[in-house]
Amino acid sequence: MLHLTIEGREVEARGGCSILQAYVQAGETLVEGVGCMGQGVCGSCRVMVRLSGEKEVRTALACETLVQEGMQVAFLDYFTEATRHTYDLEDIGDSWQVLRTITDVFPEAPHCRHCSGCDRACPKDLEVQRGVNLAVEGKLAEASHVFDECVMCNLCTLACPESIRPNHLGLFVRRIVASQALRPANLMLRLRQVENGEMTIDFDAPGARPPA
Amino acid sequence: MPAGIPYEEARTRYQVGGQPRMRADDASVAELLRAWHPDHGAGARVALAVGVNRGEPCQPDLARHLQANALIDDVDIAGAQLTTTDVLVIGGGGGGCAAALTAAGEGARVILATKLRLGDSNTVMAEGGIQAAIGDDDSPQRHFEDTLRAGHFRGEPELVARMVMEGPDVIRWLIRLGMMFDQEEGQLMGGNLLRKKPGGATAARILSYRDYTGLEMMRVLREAVDLAPGIEVWNRCAAVELLSDERGRCAGAVLYNMEWRSFVLVRARAVVLATGGAGRLHLNAFPTSNHYGATADGLVLAYRLGARMRDLDSFQYHPTGIAHPPHLAGALISEAARSAGAKLLNGEGERFIDELQPRDVVASAILRECAQGRGIARDGQLGVLLDIPTLERENPGILAKRLVTVRHLAHKCGIDATQEPFLVYPTLHYQNGGAEVDVHGATAVPGLFCAGEVTGGIHGRNRLMGNALLDILSMGRRAGAKAASRDGAVPAIRAGIGHVHAWQRELTAAGLPLDARAPLLFPDYAHFDLQADAGLGSGAHARVVGGLR
Ligand SMILES: Cc1cc2nc3c(=O)[nH]c(=O)nc-3n(C[C@H](O)[C@H](O)[C@H](O)COP(=O)(O)OP(=O)(O)OC[C@H]3O[C@@H](n4cnc5c(N)ncnc54)[C@H](O)[C@@H]3O)c2cc1C
Ligand code: SF4
Ligand code: SF4
Ligand code: FES
Repeated sequence: MLHLTIEGREVEARGGCSILQAYVQAGETLVEGVGCMGQGVCGSCRVMVRLSGEKEVRTALACETLVQEGMQVAFLDYFTEATRHTYDLEDIGDSWQVLRTITDVFPEAPHCRHCSGCDRACPKDLEVQRGVNLAVEGKLAEASHVFDECVMCNLCTLACPESIRPNHLGLFVRRIVASQALRPANLMLRLRQVENGEMTIDFDAPGARPPA
Repeated sequence: MPAGIPYEEARTRYQVGGQPRMRADDASVAELLRAWHPDHGAGARVALAVGVNRGEPCQPDLARHLQANALIDDVDIAGAQLTTTDVLVIGGGGGGCAAALTAAGEGARVILATKLRLGDSNTVMAEGGIQAAIGDDDSPQRHFEDTLRAGHFRGEPELVARMVMEGPDVIRWLIRLGMMFDQEEGQLMGGNLLRKKPGGATAARILSYRDYTGLEMMRVLREAVDLAPGIEVWNRCAAVELLSDERGRCAGAVLYNMEWRSFVLVRARAVVLATGGAGRLHLNAFPTSNHYGATADGLVLAYRLGARMRDLDSFQYHPTGIAHPPHLAGALISEAARSAGAKLLNGEGERFIDELQPRDVVASAILRECAQGRGIARDGQLGVLLDIPTLERENPGILAKRLVTVRHLAHKCGIDATQEPFLVYPTLHYQNGGAEVDVHGATAVPGLFCAGEVTGGIHGRNRLMGNALLDILSMGRRAGAKAASRDGAVPAIRAGIGHVHAWQRELTAAGLPLDARAPLLFPDYAHFDLQADAGLGSGAHARVVGGLR
């Protein structure tokens, strides 16, 4: 059995289980800070972790982090920011003005201090800072790619001294790229066929009935 | 659990790039399903004793929840805060977001209440992709026929037809909201969307974003909902009961605000239930791929108010859940691996099924291997091997390019996916049945709409990969639009939980206990007791809740 502290409570756990599992197996209540419970995609289970004998405190996802002897864990509250960046994609008319749009909506983004707080906070090891800077330079495709695997845990937002909200900036850029530029030929053709009435459903086709 | 062949021994029979033989087998598909699928066999179903589906079959563990007493009584909500809105959407997955966005788009005031946080759902976990018939070798008609056939011709043709015809428009809607899709050759304007072929379909019809389509979809939908001016999001507010008026209409819901530890009554002209699936009930003691909140709450609430259900004895067990290491048990290995050609091997080093058969068939075959002693035992877990290393050797780079999530997963399992196969076992994945709805998501209860996994009827008794994501969005949009329209909606004069009293009488008459309560809200191991948490009298002896809540 391993011994660790979660939320100030001493918890015993078998090796090889995640922090979340250790906590519920120890009989504690767990109805917050959990979502996908292991897939590491919902970004709910944000924790600060300090390993035994180390000074450094790291951020992590509790469902993806295995318990270790002497580990100390504290959950980070989900918070709603007082101010946020609002926009309506439909209002982004002239895509030549997209650089301005980005800095209008995220006025702090050009003030990045290059402190790499976001990079250190990111449990997915994304190059968050680079993504922010690419977005400000207008390198939209590249910037959006940086945030491909972002789970919106908001840890980078918590870490950013300039309140840039890097993950939301990243998502904004992704949404602009997709909504403004993605015009797939095969989809457009099929939409036209459906709208013209060329594609209909035959309920009585042989394949629509169970085999005799 | 039956014995299996020890892992070390099985491993000696496995070789990367080996050409394993197929075990001779003359059982028909029908026999295989009948003998081994958890939906079949003696203990697979009971007859419901109360409610509109009285006398009809239901999975026994689910039946216990459907036939339980309400969590609250009149006294518990006396004096509770009251709010009104036009449309109340319950559930913050893809179905709920689609309904909320369309309802708000029609000008309705919307409250979206969700148990965990907005987005914490099965939707964000989806990997494989979404179906839409856009290929030149494909058509909505083919999609229609494939869906009906996969569902063993038990789906509703009307519902399926609407869904497949709307497929392309749903994809356009997602792109407009800012969702990306994989492309054939990476050119944004005028390129083609990449299509993959799902098991059981006649054409390549899966559209995806890498192998985390649900993540890409959900982060876009969540942001859109969050920023929509007409939608209020109530995180951590679980629906514990629906409200009814004197005519039996649905008139809103009782929510439990977990932050304030208090009940809130929301009166609404229409309610859209989009609470998703039942995996976390761990039916038949199976592990599950589902998110933490998938406890069939919507089914329980809708049934108690009189909504008719269907196919309550039909579930999908995904063939390839992780069996080892134990802490990841139940986590999903996407069907993409088998579609790409990964093979399944038993403890004797043999293949035992065509891996591209429908999910129910493959899952049954794995259960048979394990029950007949040809499974593989490791640290108390039982399973069969999924051979990814050979797939990688035959298609160098496939893990890095196409199966990104599989590679991540292998890393989490502590194995090198190019050298070591996964140990897999079926995992409870999807609820095929649910509330009966019309094409607008309307149930038989006026004012109550359902969308998404909480509904039944589209997938019959087996669902094709990629059809759930299409279903939740197309039905979610329709339900949202209809709920927002004022068609015949007369605001209720009095809204309460009168239907609960009738329900309690019915339970008593059927000899069922009143102390079993539902919905569950969280799995047992969450150690959550609403009565104790809310400081209600009857729970006074229950554990006082501490921990993370
Ligand atoms: C691991 C995994 C992979 C999958 N892969 C695919 C795929 O590739 N393609 C595909 O088509 N389908 C896939 N599916 C199935 C598909 O993702 C789901 O069927 C679909 O997303 C369900 O959407 P939904 O909106 O109905 O429910 P969910 O997305 O599950 O949302 C339900 C919401 O309701 C909330 N809720 C529950 N109870 C209450 C309550 N009492 N009060 C308030 N809120 C409540 C939950 O918190 C959640 O927010 C997959 C499923 C899983 C689990
Ligand atoms: S970029 Fe930010 S929100 Fe995204 S995963 Fe990293 S820390 Fe979390
Ligand atoms: S934390 Fe903020 S300021 Fe620091 S590097 Fe990241 S984006 Fe820039
Ligand atoms: S519970 Fe979803 S990321 Fe940890």
